[in-house]
Amino acid sequence: MTKKQITIALAGNANVGKSVIFNHLTGMHQHIGNWPGKTVEKAEGTLKFEDYTIDIIDLPGIYSLSTFSIEELITREYIAKEKPDLVINVIDASVLERNLFFTLQLVELETPIIIALNQMDMAKKKGIEINEIKLEARLGIPVIPTIAPSQEGIHDLLKAAVDVVKKRLPTTTAIRYGEEIENRIQKLEEFVQRFELLYPSRWVAIKLLEGDKQIEEMMEKVGRKALSLAKKLREEIENIHGHSSSTVVTSERYEVAGNIAREVQRIVPPKTPQLRNRLHALTTHRIAGYPIMAAMVLLIFFAIFSFGDYTSGLINDLFLSFEPFFKSVCGGGVLGELLWGGVAEGLIAGITIVLPYLLPFYLALHLLEDSGYLSRIAFLMDNLMHKIGLHGKAFIPMMLGFGCNVSACLGCRILETERERLIAIFVVTLVPCAATTVIVLGLVGAHVGFQWALLLYLVNFLVIFALGRIAFKSLPGEPTGLIMEMHDYRVPHMETVTKQTWFMLKEFVKMAFPLIIVGSFVVKLIQVVNLLEPIADFLSPITVVWMGLPAITGIALIFGILRKELALVMLATLLGTADLSQAPGFGPVQMIVFALVAMLYIPCISTIAVLARELGWRKAWIITIFEVVFAIVMGGLAYRLLIFANIWP
Amino acid sequence: MELPLTKLRPGETAVIISTNSPPLNPHKHHHRIRSTTAGSAKIGRHYNFHKRLEDMGLTPGTQIKVVRSAPFHGPLELHVRGSRLALGRGMAERILVRVER
Repeated sequence: MTKKQITIALAGNANVGKSVIFNHLTGMHQHIGNWPGKTVEKAEGTLKFEDYTIDIIDLPGIYSLSTFSIEELITREYIAKEKPDLVINVIDASVLERNLFFTLQLVELETPIIIALNQMDMAKKKGIEINEIKLEARLGIPVIPTIAPSQEGIHDLLKAAVDVVKKRLPTTTAIRYGEEIENRIQKLEEFVQRFELLYPSRWVAIKLLEGDKQIEEMMEKVGRKALSLAKKLREEIENIHGHSSSTVVTSERYEVAGNIAREVQRIVPPKTPQLRNRLHALTTHRIAGYPIMAAMVLLIFFAIFSFGDYTSGLINDLFLSFEPFFKSVCGGGVLGELLWGGVAEGLIAGITIVLPYLLPFYLALHLLEDSGYLSRIAFLMDNLMHKIGLHGKAFIPMMLGFGCNVSACLGCRILETERERLIAIFVVTLVPCAATTVIVLGLVGAHVGFQWALLLYLVNFLVIFALGRIAFKSLPGEPTGLIMEMHDYRVPHMETVTKQTWFMLKEFVKMAFPLIIVGSFVVKLIQVVNLLEPIADFLSPITVVWMGLPAITGIALIFGILRKELALVMLATLLGTADLSQAPGFGPVQMIVFALVAMLYIPCISTIAVLARELGWRKAWIITIFEVVFAIVMGGLAYRLLIFANIWP
Repeated sequence: MELPLTKLRPGETAVIISTNSPPLNPHKHHHRIRSTTAGSAKIGRHYNFHKRLEDMGLTPGTQIKVVRSAPFHGPLELHVRGSRLALGRGMAERILVRVER
């Protein structure tokens, strides 16, 4: 009796070519979603091989199975709870020791496992020769050498995988630690065996000796007594070795990984310095690194915007040409108005504003990440980002925020802990996006003076800095510093990158578009039933009394929720003039206050949708409401300050 | 000679003695990491930072080489266990190493 439906999980360190293998295996039969309740991507796919239907799960790229990041927790819980038929551990042949450290932990989880010894070509270029037969014998696990981009070894890998599942090969014997540790593991294992455990008992024993928080919590529920025994054993180890028990276990595990690596590989470093090393030295150079980075970031920006701007205009014209036809079908009355202005225009806004920017953005992000340049930027910008409590990796989403907050929020996923993501996303929603720039430059820059527009930006940066720091200090949890691998530069695998981009776009459309359409429908409805003016009157204590703006600006700001630049468009319409400098009651002071509020007051509806998705509705509302209140407070203060300064009598 | 990792010059190789030594000069990141109360709280905030370093291969006895450091007190680039790591300065200051000079 063989099982015709099997599940295989891909696991391994970050940047080992896992996703390239995943793409080769699954082709277009894949789906990118989220792990339930987590902001971690989950890529799933299926393939047919012989007479098997194989589900492939691409687990996040991680270095260990501790509890440092959400990804690590997801991985170990997945393997323990879902019990995939097989784990394919993809390892980077050019960084064998570090990768084996993770392999040994997978082995300890007692899951059936085979190894894809990937990036053999990279290893060869670095002068590393690996005897895979020796490695196989040493680990007791099938090892298949692969070169993912050229599909070398992929078929063998599948064959071996199915073979192992078919024959139900016994899981390999776990590594043995030094005597002092090993005895205590066994003692603790014997003790915990009597309890109902989700994980293998030996693994639980090891994790207890490592002082793993989550496993301790688990034992608290099922067998508290194990905790006091573990504590006693840990103290014994600490007395013998003079280091914490966790340190000793980790060191020994690395020791084993190092020994295996040394046994199976031979390194003859090439004599001439290689291009990728020179590139690395140049792009992380203390002087040259910065102009190169600035040029790269500007180039990417320029590329995203020129593509986005051009495509956006093109699609917009195309859609608007449908309007007469649309209205002739639905009628020009209230219904037609609602359907066109609410539903269709919402859809058009989504397609024209978000997609043309999001597509090149995803492409650029994947290229940056895959090539390895992203980690160099993080290296260069780490210190600056520390000033707002984030580390170097957060620089990229921050920069992207100037383009579009939506993509920037999604980009915050490259950060590791939930705390960092929350701070980064919060900060990103305060970054003035391209649409905000249109308002600031089109209103204040054009009619008040460029220096005032710059001043507004300065204020905005100060706000980001101050609020970022406050969030950093007040949020619970441990601040983390930068610690990341900078893997060798490599040419990104275009097929994988474009597929990832495509599937992520698809996922975004499914998530954000319903919300955008509903939102624009509601605003249109308010307009159609003539509620705009009552609302403007209702808001007048805030707009007129507190911020000194004309009452109709309230309406403009409401439209800005849909798309920020609409705030400016509506302002012109409502004031009844395209030349805003001629509008009565709307002088320089009002322009500055209006622009300032527009900069800060709310992330647009698409951003709110992404916030909800990334953080959950509760946090999304908290951030949104906080920013509205904050903007109003700032607007009123600015108004009073400007009146007091009496610059424009 | 025993030094914090940040005191190494680019190109120097050293051996890690410990990864949780108190920093020599008070630095803005540290009071938070150190502000743990006694007892079980030791495993908690302290645990993660520490564990992370070790998981990345920075365990006592490990040989590491400082390749370069980013300007403006930026992170260090290290060679450790055949791989290249970037390590923030706040974390690096807490690593005590032995170096032959």
